Amino acid sequence: MSRWVQFFIATTLGITCGLIYGWKLAPVEYKDTTPDTLRADYRADYVLMVAEAYQSGQDVDLAAQRLAMLGSDPPVGIALQTLAYIQQAGFSEIDLARLRDLALALQTWQPVSGGGLP
Amino acid sequence: MKLDRLPWHMLIGMILGIGLGLLYSWVISPVSYSDTPPALLRSGFKDQLRAVIAAAYLSTGDIGRAQVRLALLGDPDPAQSLTMQAQKTLAEGGSPDIVQALGLLAAAIKQKDTTVPVTVSTEIPTQFPPNETPPIIATIPLDNTSPFPPETHTPATMISPTPRPTHTSLPTIGAPYVLITNETICDPSLPEGLLQVTISDAANKQVAGMEIIITWDDGEESFFTGLKPEIGNGYADYVMSPSVIYTLYLASGSDPAPNLYASSCHAENGDLYWGGLAIEFRQP
Repeated sequence: MSRWVQFFIATTLGITCGLIYGWKLAPVEYKDTTPDTLRADYRADYVLMVAEAYQSGQDVDLAAQRLAMLGSDPPVGIALQTLAYIQQAGFSEIDLARLRDLALALQTWQPVSGGGLP
Repeated sequence: MKLDRLPWHMLIGMILGIGLGLLYSWVISPVSYSDTPPALLRSGFKDQLRAVIAAAYLSTGDIGRAQVRLALLGDPDPAQSLTMQAQKTLAEGGSPDIVQALGLLAAAIKQKDTTVPVTVSTEIPTQFPPNETPPIIATIPLDNTSPFPPETHTPATMISPTPRPTHTSLPTIGAPYVLITNETICDPSLPEGLLQVTISDAANKQVAGMEIIITWDDGEESFFTGLKPEIGNGYADYVMSPSVIYTLYLASGSDPAPNLYASSCHAENGDLYWGGLAIEFRQP
């Protein structure tokens, strides 16, 4: 076997070892992530929390600001997507009602300029 | 073995290959984490999440669900994290509503932890109903090494007990609070000019989350009970400036406590220092 063939076999073996190490044994660890990377069920629970909080104060602006943490989608879109998700997931009627109330309020909500999350 | 007999070409190929493999797996195409748990969020986002958890708790009063949600953040001591965040929010002039919600939730957790032992061994059931395909957030493992919910099915036989009620007294509308104690405290171990306020309800239980308003000639500030649950759920304190006379009352309605100031006290060695006050309000 020529030296070049041996070289390429060794290189291929090295690449395989490197990939196994980098993907399986010691993959890149992420921390300090942003909410838009949250798993779907955690996102849904966050939106449900916002809906629960909305029940007491009925503050649509605050609810919309809180939903904006999940990304650039319109708050009403986030609420409706979550509503569809939790209907499939079998959440309780109370949770559904809370989220419906929030989605309804957001449908007529107009964003105001300024403000930030408390 | 002579060096010239080593298979250098194979060693170089192997090292080159490992380097390329690592470059690809760590830099060019690292493992993607698109479905992350809340515990990995940046601390600012965790703070926002805690604030929303507390606001939701204030709305629903569901301490069980709030605890499950807080556990997902991976804080070693959730009550302590809430208290610290409340104090930070207060110091930064944040929303009093959020401060109150954080303080109340911290107090409720502290109280629940001391009065109701947790008996579950591996998982905390939540309010979510058991069904064939329950939401993944329905359970979370208590094992610190893996604090996240399982990816797949939760056992269909999972019980969803209603969390036990908390014994933390929350502010309620009722008779105005009455000032029952106003004592000068000379204790050199305390900060000078410390004003200690304790608020109890008609059942003599300390009340967390009460807003206290303190005014002086040209200023006004407010602070809350429940931010130091290690002292008491109905406890709050404020450091008075010497030679300033304060008036204090509760935002929810109380007798005013006028003419509050730091009195001078004598230490054992004869030195003078500023003493404090201990004030107690109770609902009749």
